[in-house]
Amino acid sequence: MKSVNEELLDDLIICPQCHTLHKGVRINDGAKALCRECGALLYRYDSRLIDYGFALGLTALIFFLLANFFPIVKIELLGHEQFITIPKTFMTLFEQGFYIVGLLCAFLIFLFPLIVFTLYTVIFLLLKLRRGKQLTKELLVLLSYVLKWNMSDIFFISILVALVKLIGYVQIDMGIAFWALLVYVAIDIYLTKQIQLQEIWMLHKRVYEEQTI
Amino acid sequence: MKRLKEDTLVRCPVCEAVNLKKREKIRCHRCDTVIETDPRLKLSKSWAYLITAMIAYIPANLYPMLISRQFGIIRESTIVGGVIQLWEHGSYPIAAIIFFASIMIPILKFLILIYLLISVKYPIGKDRKIDKHKLYYLTELAGPWSMIDVFVVAILAALIHLSHVEIIAGTAATAFALSVFFTLLAAHAFDESLIKENR
Repeated sequence: MKSVNEELLDDLIICPQCHTLHKGVRINDGAKALCRECGALLYRYDSRLIDYGFALGLTALIFFLLANFFPIVKIELLGHEQFITIPKTFMTLFEQGFYIVGLLCAFLIFLFPLIVFTLYTVIFLLLKLRRGKQLTKELLVLLSYVLKWNMSDIFFISILVALVKLIGYVQIDMGIAFWALLVYVAIDIYLTKQIQLQEIWMLHKRVYEEQTI
Repeated sequence: MKRLKEDTLVRCPVCEAVNLKKREKIRCHRCDTVIETDPRLKLSKSWAYLITAMIAYIPANLYPMLISRQFGIIRESTIVGGVIQLWEHGSYPIAAIIFFASIMIPILKFLILIYLLISVKYPIGKDRKIDKHKLYYLTELAGPWSMIDVFVVAILAALIHLSHVEIIAGTAATAFALSVFFTLLAAHAFDESLIKENR
């Protein structure tokens, strides 16, 4: 049993949803491999993944920065205009003395999303340039830790819920950042839910193997 | 490949690569992360986080989540109170979202994790392995959505703070955020490879 080559292990895949053991097969460009037990997506093969990934990562980063600098929503209440930005949301919690919630929110809706998309951009850039094998590996490990804690999609839904609560009491105007956040969340969902980390690891192996030959 | 038995293989929790289970501690061949294969350690960790989360969930329901001050009149609402208020106001969809996110998901998650943690050690009834994996996957997926209420309170507090009309977060916000945080940790700490078929 111990004689099994570790290289062979790379062909094995355990389904992320139902834990069934699979042997990976070569599939056509643009095709998907699904789990035979539960139909969950195992991996896809896309020859242009690096370009897509880099473009989407960079776009998401730009829209995320836009979403942070401009007001998301403006409201008019008793003649006063109020607005929120992402940093203002958790800074208010700090001002009111809710340090733990403030810190959690700062990480979940600001720091982690920022880190996730910086990582995506850097990883795909490194893969494109075929440089930094070890660095890419470490960044991928970091990415998989942070990925679970990115909650910008949930934050976006929360904004909608908060606004519906306010309808009828105040006049609401959507800011530029709201639309930037919408685009950002759409890319976020595509990148983090559609592109499996497994695919990037397979890409990593492919890219740097070609290099050594 | 039939030679390899499934229980000699372990999935790296970080990069999802399949590894051979050789010794107590192994390093993933793909990402070099140390994979903890001692089931007792992982289970006690998961239990500890889960119990912390359940304790934090009690004050989260007793203390007010949202305090609104309107011209000197202070109104406090708890999580359940907030849902009832929304329902009475006629905003049924929002009431349903908050009800699911803040009450249903946390409680279901507690129950599912308790069930999974117990069933790993003591087989209860007949259940299929795949169903349990699905159950775990669903809790992982739905877990973070409990944060909606905390974010909503944060947004409202940031948006409405005039000298006469003000919304302040309540003590429950801290307790609830901590509860969700620890449930997430408990779910991450749980070792999926321990799920076995009970027949």
